[in-house]
Amino acid sequence: MANLLMRRALINAIRVPAGARASSVNTDLAKVGKREWVCYGFNGQPNYVDRPDYPMPAVRFQPETPDIKMLREKEKGDWRKLTMEEKKALYRASFCQTFAEFQAPTGEWKGVTGWALTLASLSVWIYFAMKIFVYSPLPETFDDEHQKAQLKRMLDLKVNPVDGLASKWDYENNRWK
Amino acid sequence: MLKAASGTFAHVLKRSLIPTARVNAVGVVRNSHGGPVESDEEFDSRYEAFFNRKDIDGWEIRKGMNDLCGMDLVPDPRIIKAAMHACRRVNDYALAIRFIEACKDKCGPKVNEIYPYIIQEIKPTLVELGIETPEELGYDKPELALKNVYEM
Repeated sequence: MANLLMRRALINAIRVPAGARASSVNTDLAKVGKREWVCYGFNGQPNYVDRPDYPMPAVRFQPETPDIKMLREKEKGDWRKLTMEEKKALYRASFCQTFAEFQAPTGEWKGVTGWALTLASLSVWIYFAMKIFVYSPLPETFDDEHQKAQLKRMLDLKVNPVDGLASKWDYENNRWK
Repeated sequence: MLKAASGTFAHVLKRSLIPTARVNAVGVVRNSHGGPVESDEEFDSRYEAFFNRKDIDGWEIRKGMNDLCGMDLVPDPRIIKAAMHACRRVNDYALAIRFIEACKDKCGPKVNEIYPYIIQEIKPTLVELGIETPEELGYDKPELALKNVYEM
Protein backbone atom coordinates (compact mmCIF):
# COMPACT_ATOMS: atom_id res chain seq x y z
CA MET A 1 0.00 0.00 0.00
CA ALA A 2 2.72 2.41 1.04
CA ASN A 3 4.60 1.38 -2.08
CA LEU A 4 1.67 2.32 -4.25
CA LEU A 5 1.13 5.64 -2.49
CA MET A 6 4.81 6.46 -2.82
CA ARG A 7 4.76 5.75 -6.52
CA ARG A 8 1.66 7.82 -7.07
CA ALA A 9 3.12 10.74 -5.13
CA LEU A 10 6.34 10.55 -7.12
CA ILE A 11 4.54 10.45 -10.43
CA ASN A 12 2.38 13.38 -9.43
CA ALA A 13 5.43 15.33 -8.36
CA ILE A 14 7.21 14.75 -11.63
CA ARG A 15 4.41 14.82 -14.16
CA VAL A 16 3.78 18.18 -15.78
CA PRO A 17 0.85 18.87 -18.06
CA ALA A 18 1.68 18.82 -21.77
CA GLY A 19 2.60 22.22 -23.14
CA ALA A 20 3.57 23.55 -19.72
CA ARG A 21 6.97 22.05 -19.01
CA ALA A 22 8.08 24.86 -16.76
CA SER A 23 6.24 27.53 -14.87
CA SER A 24 8.14 30.21 -16.77
CA VAL A 25 6.33 29.10 -19.91
CA ASN A 26 3.02 29.91 -18.26
CA THR A 27 4.10 33.40 -17.28
CA ASP A 28 5.54 33.94 -20.75
CA LEU A 29 2.34 32.68 -22.31
CA ALA A 30 0.40 35.18 -20.22
CA LYS A 31 2.60 37.98 -21.53
CA VAL A 32 2.34 36.73 -25.11
CA GLY A 33 -1.43 37.08 -25.00
CA LYS A 34 -2.98 36.71 -28.43
CA ARG A 35 0.30 36.62 -30.32
CA GLU A 36 0.79 33.55 -32.45
CA TRP A 37 3.54 31.16 -31.28
CA VAL A 38 5.21 30.30 -34.55
CA CYS A 39 8.69 29.02 -33.89
CA TYR A 40 11.04 27.34 -31.45
CA GLY A 41 12.98 30.59 -31.17
CA PHE A 42 16.32 30.62 -29.42
CA ASN A 43 15.42 28.83 -26.18
CA GLY A 44 12.03 27.23 -26.70
CA GLN A 45 10.14 29.88 -24.74
CA PRO A 46 7.42 32.03 -26.30
CA ASN A 47 9.42 35.23 -26.35
CA TYR A 48 10.39 37.90 -28.88
CA VAL A 49 13.93 39.17 -29.40
CA ASP A 50 15.43 40.62 -32.58
CA ARG A 51 18.66 38.68 -32.91
CA PRO A 52 20.82 38.32 -36.02
CA ASP A 53 21.84 34.79 -35.04
CA TYR A 54 18.21 33.71 -34.52
CA PRO A 55 16.38 36.01 -36.94
CA MET A 56 13.02 34.23 -36.52
CA PRO A 57 11.70 34.81 -32.98
CA ALA A 58 9.31 32.42 -31.30
CA VAL A 59 6.20 34.62 -31.45
CA ARG A 60 4.87 37.15 -33.90
CA PHE A 61 5.46 40.67 -32.64
CA GLN A 62 1.88 41.88 -32.84
CA PRO A 63 -1.27 40.21 -31.55
CA GLU A 64 -3.88 39.03 -34.02
CA THR A 65 -6.10 42.06 -34.41
CA PRO A 66 -9.00 42.04 -36.89
CA ASP A 67 -6.96 44.29 -39.22
CA ILE A 68 -4.11 41.86 -39.31
CA LYS A 69 -6.45 38.90 -39.76
CA MET A 70 -7.88 40.63 -42.83
CA LEU A 71 -4.37 41.20 -44.13
CA ARG A 72 -3.52 37.55 -43.54
CA GLU A 73 -6.51 36.53 -45.65
CA LYS A 74 -5.30 38.83 -48.41
CA GLU A 75 -1.78 37.41 -48.01
CA LYS A 76 -3.10 34.01 -49.08
CA GLY A 77 -3.72 35.44 -52.53
CA ASP A 78 -1.24 36.76 -55.07
CA TRP A 79 1.53 38.71 -53.34
CA ARG A 80 1.97 40.91 -56.41
CA LYS A 81 -1.45 42.41 -55.65
CA LEU A 82 -0.45 43.54 -52.17
CA THR A 83 0.43 47.21 -51.83
CA MET A 84 3.69 48.40 -50.32
CA GLU A 85 1.86 49.54 -47.16
CA GLU A 86 0.25 46.14 -46.74
CA LYS A 87 3.57 44.40 -47.16
CA LYS A 88 5.17 46.65 -44.57
CA ALA A 89 2.23 46.13 -42.23
CA LEU A 90 2.64 42.36 -42.62
CA TYR A 91 6.33 42.65 -41.82
CA ARG A 92 5.67 44.74 -38.74
CA ALA A 93 2.98 42.31 -37.63
CA SER A 94 5.55 39.52 -37.53
CA PHE A 95 8.67 41.44 -36.56
CA CYS A 96 9.47 44.44 -34.40
CA GLN A 97 12.54 45.84 -36.06
CA THR A 98 14.28 45.25 -39.39
CA PHE A 99 17.92 44.17 -39.42
CA ALA A 100 18.97 47.70 -40.37
CA GLU A 101 17.06 49.05 -37.38
CA PHE A 102 18.24 46.75 -34.64
CA GLN A 103 21.80 46.90 -35.92
CA ALA A 104 21.82 50.67 -36.23
CA PRO A 105 24.35 52.40 -33.99
CA THR A 106 22.69 53.77 -30.87
CA GLY A 107 25.39 56.30 -30.02
CA GLU A 108 25.47 54.89 -26.52
CA TRP A 109 29.27 54.56 -26.69
CA LYS A 110 29.57 58.33 -26.51
CA GLY A 111 27.94 58.55 -23.13
CA VAL A 112 29.84 55.52 -21.86
CA THR A 113 33.18 56.92 -23.01
CA GLY A 114 32.32 60.33 -21.58
CA TRP A 115 31.49 58.97 -18.16
CA ALA A 116 34.50 56.67 -18.15
CA LEU A 117 36.86 59.56 -18.91
CA THR A 118 35.11 61.80 -16.36
CA LEU A 119 35.56 59.24 -13.61
CA ALA A 120 39.15 58.58 -14.66
CA SER A 121 39.96 62.29 -14.49
CA LEU A 122 38.32 62.42 -11.08
CA SER A 123 41.12 60.17 -9.84
CA VAL A 124 43.63 62.91 -10.74
CA TRP A 125 41.81 65.34 -8.45
CA ILE A 126 41.70 62.71 -5.73
CA TYR A 127 45.48 62.35 -6.11
CA PHE A 128 46.05 66.08 -5.68
CA ALA A 129 43.69 66.20 -2.72
CA MET A 130 45.67 63.36 -1.12
CA LYS A 131 48.89 65.24 -1.74
CA ILE A 132 47.58 68.38 -0.10
CA PHE A 133 45.46 67.12 2.76
CA VAL A 134 46.57 63.59 3.62
CA TYR A 135 50.21 62.81 2.97
CA SER A 136 53.06 64.39 4.90
CA PRO A 137 55.69 66.15 2.74
CA LEU A 138 58.41 64.07 1.08
CA PRO A 139 61.47 63.30 3.27
CA GLU A 140 64.40 65.71 2.98
CA THR A 141 66.54 62.97 1.45
CA PHE A 142 64.57 63.49 -1.76
CA ASP A 143 66.15 66.88 -2.49
CA ASP A 144 69.00 67.36 -4.93
CA GLU A 145 71.76 67.82 -2.36
CA HIS A 146 70.98 64.59 -0.53
CA GLN A 147 70.66 62.63 -3.78
CA LYS A 148 74.09 63.85 -4.90
CA ALA A 149 75.60 62.98 -1.54
CA GLN A 150 74.15 59.50 -1.80
CA LEU A 151 75.60 59.03 -5.28
CA LYS A 152 79.00 60.19 -4.02
CA ARG A 153 78.82 57.70 -1.17
CA MET A 154 77.92 54.89 -3.57
CA LEU A 155 80.91 55.73 -5.74
CA ASP A 156 83.15 55.80 -2.67
CA LEU A 157 81.91 52.34 -1.73
CA LYS A 158 82.53 51.16 -5.31
CA VAL A 159 79.02 49.79 -5.65
CA ASN A 160 78.74 47.21 -8.44
CA PRO A 161 82.20 47.62 -9.92
CA VAL A 162 81.97 45.00 -12.70
CA ASP A 163 79.14 46.18 -14.87
CA GLY A 164 77.17 48.62 -12.67
CA LEU A 165 77.51 52.11 -11.28
CA ALA A 166 81.19 52.05 -10.18
CA SER A 167 82.32 50.44 -13.45
CA LYS A 168 81.21 53.62 -15.24
CA TRP A 169 83.21 55.97 -13.00
CA ASP A 170 86.80 56.80 -13.84
CA TYR A 171 88.48 56.84 -10.38
CA GLU A 172 91.83 58.13 -11.71
CA ASN A 173 90.45 61.22 -13.39
CA ASN A 174 87.38 61.60 -11.14
CA ARG A 175 84.83 61.74 -13.94
CA TRP A 176 82.38 59.49 -15.76
CA LYS A 177 83.97 57.20 -18.27
CA MET B 1 10.09 -0.11 -1.76
CA LEU B 2 12.65 2.56 -2.35
CA LYS B 3 14.14 0.55 -5.17
CA ALA B 4 10.77 0.20 -6.82
CA ALA B 5 10.11 3.90 -6.38
CA SER B 6 13.47 4.93 -7.78
CA GLY B 7 12.88 2.63 -10.72
CA THR B 8 9.61 4.41 -11.41
CA PHE B 9 11.33 7.73 -10.89
CA ALA B 10 13.99 6.90 -13.47
CA HIS B 11 11.36 5.71 -15.90
CA VAL B 12 9.24 8.84 -15.56
CA LEU B 13 12.31 11.06 -15.71
CA LYS B 14 13.47 9.33 -18.87
CA ARG B 15 10.08 9.66 -20.45
CA SER B 16 9.83 13.35 -19.63
CA LEU B 17 13.37 14.19 -20.72
CA ILE B 18 13.56 12.28 -23.97
CA PRO B 19 10.93 13.48 -26.41
CA THR B 20 9.26 10.59 -28.16
CA ALA B 21 8.83 12.38 -31.46
CA ARG B 22 11.90 14.30 -32.47
CA VAL B 23 11.67 16.54 -35.51
CA ASN B 24 14.41 15.21 -37.72
CA ALA B 25 14.23 18.35 -39.79
CA VAL B 26 17.68 18.33 -41.25
CA GLY B 27 18.70 14.70 -40.97
CA VAL B 28 21.22 13.14 -38.68
CA VAL B 29 24.67 14.69 -38.50
CA ARG B 30 27.59 12.50 -37.46
CA ASN B 31 29.85 14.73 -35.41
CA SER B 32 32.90 12.50 -35.06
CA HIS B 33 36.13 12.73 -36.97
CA GLY B 34 36.95 10.21 -39.63
CA GLY B 35 33.29 9.93 -40.53
CA PRO B 36 31.68 10.74 -43.85
CA VAL B 37 32.08 14.42 -44.73
CA GLU B 38 29.17 16.15 -46.40
CA SER B 39 30.15 18.11 -49.47
CA ASP B 40 28.86 21.65 -50.06
CA GLU B 41 26.78 20.33 -52.93
CA GLU B 42 25.12 17.72 -50.70
CA PHE B 43 24.52 20.32 -48.00
CA ASP B 44 22.80 22.68 -50.44
CA SER B 45 20.71 19.85 -51.85
CA ARG B 46 19.71 18.70 -48.37
CA TYR B 47 18.44 22.13 -47.39
CA GLU B 48 16.84 22.71 -50.77
CA ALA B 49 14.98 19.43 -50.38
CA PHE B 50 14.02 20.38 -46.84
CA PHE B 51 12.47 23.67 -47.93
CA ASN B 52 10.90 22.03 -50.97
CA ARG B 53 8.92 19.56 -48.86
CA LYS B 54 5.30 19.89 -49.79
CA ASP B 55 3.95 19.52 -46.24
CA ILE B 56 6.42 21.89 -44.60
CA ASP B 57 4.90 24.24 -42.04
CA GLY B 58 5.91 27.64 -40.71
CA TRP B 59 7.53 26.19 -37.61
CA GLU B 60 9.87 23.98 -39.66
CA ILE B 61 10.69 26.76 -42.13
CA ARG B 62 11.71 29.03 -39.27
CA LYS B 63 13.69 26.24 -37.67
CA GLY B 64 15.58 25.65 -40.92
CA MET B 65 16.25 29.36 -41.35
CA ASN B 66 17.41 29.83 -37.77
CA ASP B 67 19.71 26.83 -38.15
CA LEU B 68 21.18 28.20 -41.37
CA CYS B 69 21.77 31.55 -39.70
CA GLY B 70 23.66 29.82 -36.90
CA MET B 71 26.14 28.24 -39.31
CA ASP B 72 29.40 29.63 -40.62
CA LEU B 73 28.15 30.08 -44.17
CA VAL B 74 26.00 32.19 -46.46
CA PRO B 75 23.06 30.14 -47.74
CA ASP B 76 23.32 29.28 -51.41
CA PRO B 77 20.83 31.07 -53.71
CA ARG B 78 19.35 27.62 -54.43
CA ILE B 79 18.43 27.26 -50.76
CA ILE B 80 17.09 30.81 -50.60
CA LYS B 81 14.92 30.22 -53.66
CA ALA B 82 13.49 27.05 -52.14
CA ALA B 83 12.88 28.93 -48.90
CA MET B 84 11.02 31.69 -50.77
CA HIS B 85 8.73 29.10 -52.32
CA ALA B 86 8.23 27.53 -48.90
CA CYS B 87 7.21 30.93 -47.49
CA ARG B 88 4.76 31.25 -50.36
CA ARG B 89 3.24 27.86 -49.55
CA VAL B 90 2.64 28.81 -45.92
CA ASN B 91 1.50 32.33 -46.93
CA ASP B 92 4.04 34.26 -44.89
CA TYR B 93 5.36 37.29 -46.75
CA ALA B 94 7.19 38.78 -43.77
CA LEU B 95 9.16 35.58 -43.30
CA ALA B 96 10.50 35.77 -46.86
CA ILE B 97 11.69 39.36 -46.40
CA ARG B 98 13.20 38.50 -43.04
CA PHE B 99 15.15 35.59 -44.50
CA ILE B 100 16.61 37.74 -47.29
CA GLU B 101 17.64 40.28 -44.65
CA ALA B 102 19.20 37.51 -42.56
CA CYS B 103 21.13 36.21 -45.58
CA LYS B 104 22.39 39.72 -46.25
CA ASP B 105 23.54 39.91 -42.64
CA LYS B 106 25.34 36.57 -43.06
CA CYS B 107 27.48 38.07 -45.87
CA GLY B 108 29.34 40.00 -43.17
CA PRO B 109 32.14 42.25 -44.42
CA LYS B 110 31.82 40.85 -47.97
CA VAL B 111 28.26 42.06 -48.33
CA ASN B 112 29.14 44.14 -51.38
CA GLU B 113 30.47 41.07 -53.19
CA ILE B 114 28.06 38.32 -52.14
CA TYR B 115 24.74 40.09 -51.68
CA PRO B 116 24.43 41.45 -55.26
CA TYR B 117 25.18 37.92 -56.50
CA ILE B 118 22.45 36.45 -54.29
CA ILE B 119 19.93 39.05 -55.45
CA GLN B 120 20.90 38.48 -59.07
CA GLU B 121 20.38 34.73 -58.66
CA ILE B 122 17.07 34.87 -56.76
CA LYS B 123 15.58 37.84 -58.64
CA PRO B 124 13.49 35.69 -61.05
CA THR B 125 11.95 33.87 -58.08
CA LEU B 126 11.24 37.14 -56.27
CA VAL B 127 9.55 38.58 -59.35
CA GLU B 128 7.57 35.38 -59.87
CA LEU B 129 6.26 35.35 -56.30
CA GLY B 130 5.88 39.11 -55.93
CA ILE B 131 8.46 39.49 -53.18
CA GLU B 132 10.33 42.76 -52.87
CA THR B 133 13.96 42.89 -51.85
CA PRO B 134 14.52 44.60 -48.47
CA GLU B 135 16.03 47.51 -50.43
CA GLU B 136 12.83 47.98 -52.42
CA LEU B 137 10.88 48.09 -49.16
CA GLY B 138 13.36 50.61 -47.78
CA TYR B 139 14.59 48.18 -45.14
CA ASP B 140 18.28 48.62 -45.98
CA LYS B 141 18.19 51.73 -43.80
CA PRO B 142 16.46 52.13 -40.43
CA GLU B 143 12.85 53.10 -41.07
CA LEU B 144 11.27 53.51 -37.63
CA ALA B 145 12.73 54.29 -34.25
CA LEU B 146 11.77 52.34 -31.13
CA LYS B 147 10.29 54.14 -28.21
CA ASN B 148 12.30 53.74 -25.05
CA VAL B 149 10.56 51.13 -22.88
CA TYR B 150 11.27 53.24 -19.78
CA GLU B 151 9.33 56.15 -21.23
CA MET B 152 6.16 54.30 -22.20
